[in-house]
Order: sequence, then C-alpha cells, then structure tokens
Amino acid sequence: MTDAYLGIDIGSISTKGVIIDENRTIVARAYLWTEGSPAEAARRVAAELASQIDRDEVRVRAVGTTGSARRLVGAMTGATMIKNEITAHAVGTTYLHPDVRTILEIGGQDSKIICVENGVAVDYAMNTLCAAGTGAFLSSQAHRLGVAVEEFGEIALSSRKPANIAARCTVFAESDLVHKIQVGYAREDIIAGLCRAVATNYLNNVGKGKAIAAPVVFQGGVSKNAGVVKAFEDELGMPVTVDADGHLMGAFGVALLAADDAERPSGRGRGMGVESAATEAGRRGAFSPDETGRPTFNFDELGAFEFATREVECQKCSNHCEIICVYRDGDLIDSWGNRCEKGEIKAK
Amino acid sequence: MAKHNEGYVSFDENGTLIKCTKTAEEAAEETRGGTAEAGSAAEDADADAEAVGAADARDDAAAIRVRGFRRSGFSPLDTVVSTFGDGVRGARVVVGEAGRAFSLFDPKQARQRKKARRDKRHARTRVAFFRFSHYDAAFKYFVEQVLDADFVALPPATKRTFDLGSRYSSDSVCAPFKHILGDYIEALELGADVLVQFAGPCRLGYYGELQQSILRDLGYEFDMLNFSTVTGKPAVDYIKICRAKVNPNVSVPHGARQLLATFKMIEALDEVNDFYLANAGFECEPGSFVRTRDRFFDAMRSCTCERDIVETRNAFLDEFRNLPVDKPAHPLRVGIVGEFFTAPDEHSNLQLERKLLDMGVEVHRTVSLTNRALHYNEKNLRASVSDYVTYDMGPTSSLTLAAALKYAQEDFDGVVHVKSSGCTPEIDCMTVLARIASDYRMPVLYLSYDSQTSDTGLDTRLEAFYDMLAMKKERG
Repeated sequence: MTDAYLGIDIGSISTKGVIIDENRTIVARAYLWTEGSPAEAARRVAAELASQIDRDEVRVRAVGTTGSARRLVGAMTGATMIKNEITAHAVGTTYLHPDVRTILEIGGQDSKIICVENGVAVDYAMNTLCAAGTGAFLSSQAHRLGVAVEEFGEIALSSRKPANIAARCTVFAESDLVHKIQVGYAREDIIAGLCRAVATNYLNNVGKGKAIAAPVVFQGGVSKNAGVVKAFEDELGMPVTVDADGHLMGAFGVALLAADDAERPSGRGRGMGVESAATEAGRRGAFSPDETGRPTFNFDELGAFEFATREVECQKCSNHCEIICVYRDGDLIDSWGNRCEKGEIKAK
Repeated sequence: MAKHNEGYVSFDENGTLIKCTKTAEEAAEETRGGTAEAGSAAEDADADAEAVGAADARDDAAAIRVRGFRRSGFSPLDTVVSTFGDGVRGARVVVGEAGRAFSLFDPKQARQRKKARRDKRHARTRVAFFRFSHYDAAFKYFVEQVLDADFVALPPATKRTFDLGSRYSSDSVCAPFKHILGDYIEALELGADVLVQFAGPCRLGYYGELQQSILRDLGYEFDMLNFSTVTGKPAVDYIKICRAKVNPNVSVPHGARQLLATFKMIEALDEVNDFYLANAGFECEPGSFVRTRDRFFDAMRSCTCERDIVETRNAFLDEFRNLPVDKPAHPLRVGIVGEFFTAPDEHSNLQLERKLLDMGVEVHRTVSLTNRALHYNEKNLRASVSDYVTYDMGPTSSLTLAAALKYAQEDFDGVVHVKSSGCTPEIDCMTVLARIASDYRMPVLYLSYDSQTSDTGLDTRLEAFYDMLAMKKERG
C-alpha cells in the first residue's frame, strides 16, 4: 500500500488532475473541459483518475486544489491545501526543471510570467484587466475559421508568410482578422499570424519589463499549440521547452504542496491555507478512514453527493456582502465572502 | 508666569508631554471653560494667575497677547497656501521639522478650549468632508475647532457608496473621484450644508468643481468649500471663503492655532497607524490591535484641544507597545507605495493592508497625509532618487520612488505599488520602479484599482506574492 496525493486544478476552460505517489512521480493524469460546471468537472476528473489507479494499493492521503474554482472544489473534497495558481505553477515547474529561469504560462482566461532564480520564484506578473491573447481568444477565432483549436499548431507551422495581425487588443485583433479573411489571405497565414499575435501580445503586456532568461519553460493549455511555441522561439531568440505534462503543472504543483504539508509533522504554517469557516463536515470532505484508521480520500463519495452553491446577501450592515455558501446534500459545508465576523454563517 | 508654565507642563523635542504637576492640573481645570480668543487671552491669564496665586503672572498676561505668531518666523496660514498653492507641481512645504513640535506650540495655549460663541443671526452650518483613510478625526477637528461649525460624521463606506459614485460619474474617471462623489451624496443625504474639497496635487484639483456641478444637476442644494478656487492666492482669501461659506465669525488667531493642532493630530494619527502596521501582523491575541486602533480613532474624534491630542497619542502609543506580539527576528517586510488616495485608503484598496497583516507581514507605508502634505520636500526627495529620475513626474511620483528606494536599501522583502486605474503619474513611475526592483533584486507587485476590481483577483495576487517572498526568504 502506498500513500498518494491528489492535485486538482480547476480553470475557467479546463480542469486538470494528477495523483502523485510518495516519490512525487505522477501515477495518474486527467485533463478535460470544465464546461461551466466546476463541481461536475472535479467529479469527472476524480472518476477518471480513480480508473487509472489500483485503489486497493494506492491510498490518497491529502488533496490540494488550485485554479479559479479552488475554493469550491476545496470545500467539496476536504482539501488541506488550497493554493493560488501562480504558486502552484511555480512549485510544480521548479520541481521538474530545477534550472528553469522563466516560466511562461497561458491558460484559458489568464496568462502569467514567473521569473525564477535558484529554484525560487523572484518575480511574477499576471494579466490584469484584459484577456487578450489567451486560450479563450484562440478558441473563439478557431470557431470563426471553422478549425478545431487543437489543429491550430500544425496549420500554423505550414505557413511560410504569417499575416501581420494587430495584437494589442482582442477586439482590434478580431476586426483585423476579419479584414484579412475578407481580403483573401490564406488560412494558414492567418492562423500563423494569430499565433504570433498571441506571443507578441503576451510579451508586450504580461512580460513587459521582465528580464526573460533561458531556460524558458512554456506551459498552460496554449503551450500545446506548436504555432505559438514557434512564435515565442522566434520572438525571444532562445529555445522554449514544452513539457509533455506542461498543461498539468498547476495540479502537479498543488499535489506537491499537499504532500509536503501532509508529511510535515506540525501541519500548516501561517500562510493562506484553508480558512476556518469550513464546518466539521466540510473539513472532513470526501475523506473517510481506511482499514488502518488513517483518513483516505474516497473517490465514490464525491460522486454520491449533491453539491449546491447559494449566494446570500448579508443584511447585517449596509455593505451587503455577498456570502457564498456551499452545501452538500443540503448541509452547509463552507462559506466565504464576508468582510466582517457579523456575516459568518455557521452550520446549525 | 513663564517659569510657572515650564513647571506646569513641559515638552521634549518630539512634542511629548514629559512633566505635569498636580497643582497645575487643577489650575487647568479652572481655566478650561475660559475663552481662547487672542483678544481675551489676557483675562484668561489673569484668572489663571489668581487660581494658582502666582504674583508675577499678571505681568505676563499682556505678553500672551503677542505670543504665538511673533515667536515663530512664519504664519501658519502661509503653510496652507504653500502646501497646495505654488502651482500644481513642485509644492514645497515646511511646517517645522519632522518630529519636532511646532514652534507655536505653547503649553498654555494647548489647553485652551473655545467657548461656544452665541450667534443669533446665523444658524450653524453642517460641514462634511469626503472619507479618506483614517483622517476623519482630523477633519472633524478642523471643522469644529478651526471653522467652528458642526461636523457631519459619515458611517463607514459600503458598496452602496461606491455604486452611487460610479453611477453619476464618467466611467473612465479615476476611482478616487467615484469614491469621493459617493461620499458626498451620502453626506448630503445626512443633511450636510457645505462640502469640503481640497486643492489636490493632480487632477484632484479640478474634481471639486466637477463634483459640484454633478451634484447640482442631481438637485442637491449645498455650498462647496473648495480650496482649489483660492489656490495660489494669499491667506486672506482662504479666510474669506471660510467666512463666506461656513461661518462669518471664524476667528483668525484661534483658527490659526487650531489649524496647527489639526496638523498635530494628522501626525499623531499617522504615527500610531505606522506602529499598528508594523506590528499588527504578529499579535498574540487575534483582533487586539484592530480593537485598540478603533478605540484610538474614537478617542481622537473626541479631542477638543491640542493637549488632548498629545495625551491621547502618548497613551495609545504606550498601550500599543504593551500589547503582546510574537514577532520573529526577521519577519517578512513589505512596503506600500503609490498613489495618494488609493494607497492609504483601505476602502479603496480593498483592505490591502489588512490582507497583508493577516498573512503575518510587517507593513510599512510612507505615503500619508503627514508625508505628502505636512513634511513634503520635493527637492530632497528628488535628490535622493537622482540616480533614477531628473524631473518631477507628478503629484506623488517622487515620494513613490524615494519610498521604494528606501525600502530597497533597507532590505525589504518586497514592495506593493498601488494606484487607481489610469493614474498617469503613477504609470510613469512603474518603469522606474522596475529598474529599482532589478537593481536591488526586490520584487514589486503592481496593483491597479477601478470599479471592476475583484476581491478574488486581489487575493490570488497577494497570496502568490506572499508565497514567493516567503519561499525566497526561507531558502535564502
């Protein structure tokens, strides 16, 4: 019997999950679309991961969650590590590539750059108000061109003269793209131009003012697009590494953190871990003791319960905080969003 | 008299009360109700002299008439004029040296309270300021003691405040404009007659007139005490508009003294708050620092003379120092720099300081009213960042850069740069900050706030910033 740790990264577009064993090697991986329902996606990821392991042999001792729905899925699963995606990516990547200096990451709705020195993140930036040049933009343009977004890379590489597409802003890029289509540009040139627009937009916005040093690792869903990888290599003039598990790096990172946390005797430090608002049932999550008495993640339990999220507008003062309550089969398991203790909602 | 004064209460270099005898305490009680106008100060001193039976006090009573302005070389009202007066940029202010008591500060005058003057011809005006960080106590003091009017206290800002402000302002205007407009609307709902707007060091200087016309279009009836309309004009004009808009009987000598006391209060508020920021992250008993700070602000709100201010400050600094803290030898230290309104105002920056303190960080913030308005020396600040900039880049740019450089040189773990979205001078600063960051290998987190900024996004960035600094520190 081996101890294992589960990491789930629930992004806006896709949900990723990995299980790592005691030696920090990935023993199961899952990648699927979130489809607007993070709770359902987490359940499907857990089911997929469960099918890849021998559940009598591999026992999941701790769960970590990251990504934009980390809090919700953290409450569902009873995660002991709920971390932001920036830290998770940095931890995962520096574990696999100890010599990395720059991590480029482009996901569905956000993009970030992390500068690393001696295995420690020293600087980062994340896109702020604008989602230009992220995966969602590429998906919508693929739809317009009638091409599956997965085929983008190959088509882009076949272009010999990429079209010049205004990259500063998604709206402008889109109207420029329509113009180029109507003028009659070849499809592969447009797609290659689009990939280049994503790379230059990223470097001009997120990467502005950051010293990009080799070795560079590129990850996130968009890293699977060979056209964008090529565009980055051309722009930066240095090789860009894309890991086969690059899209899973957030889930891997948070699984590593959960493992470290579980193995540490004293438990959590004072950083931002799990808030104490979770009820007893919420802290237990989907864990139940196995035959040795140690809590083990129960894959079936996640599927067996009905999870619901409700928003309550606090009426205790005029700020009217929106408090988010998560219920499992009608029982409150966690709540957050209140600014003061007046808005704390506890299970009765 | 002079001798007696010294014995009664004396102040060290920092304006700290160091000695206070009991008999004098009683004497002070007796005179507390006395008038404080310069014209009646002599009678006041006479009464004082009788109370303690000092023979030579009567002779000195006349001297009080001229004490005050003559002793110092400058008129306090010039300060206001030069703070915001000589042009939008390059304002240079000298209000005593940092940390030293104002030269006008006189223990006798410090405990004078103004007797309510009966004016049968004019109703008392109700004056409201906008909300700004923790300075409402100073605004209240200014209205009640300097202008001798009623202060309209606003409850803590809520989401509704900002929604109101955003609804009636242009979407592209900076967030402080929306916050202030929302505050004004709430103040008018609470019955304010006069709204106060400063002359700001940036576009803020034009906001008063714009807000006035927006509010008039909405149908509110009020007067606006907008100091930017007299910017650059002599002190007489300042007095004139105060008399025209608020109180025709504003007393100049009394008002001038109380204005200095207001400055004193701003310094005290910032001083105590700085201590709070540096230590609240390590409190042993959760909430003890917040509770003490709330009580401190409450106590400051009820101050009515300069002596109250000094005593409150001293009492609470002592209390804060005695609160148990569990501070590691080398805690994570983060400095906050940035735009004048958003950086100090916790409602505008979504409780940035609170979030950092909750993570167990020592927080420092140089940008405050004290450092920007009272002890601001553009020349010195720019000289200290002369390696990076040659020219003045705007209202708070030099302060932002000098503070960031100071933090870098003092080995801070990181700096958070705060600005409202679209604040051009602070955008200019960002490229310079990036150079400071790479020279000193100190990470800088850039935050930009507007009406759409989400709490979750801020949490994600701050958490990641904290994790990064903590891991960096751990592995050396």
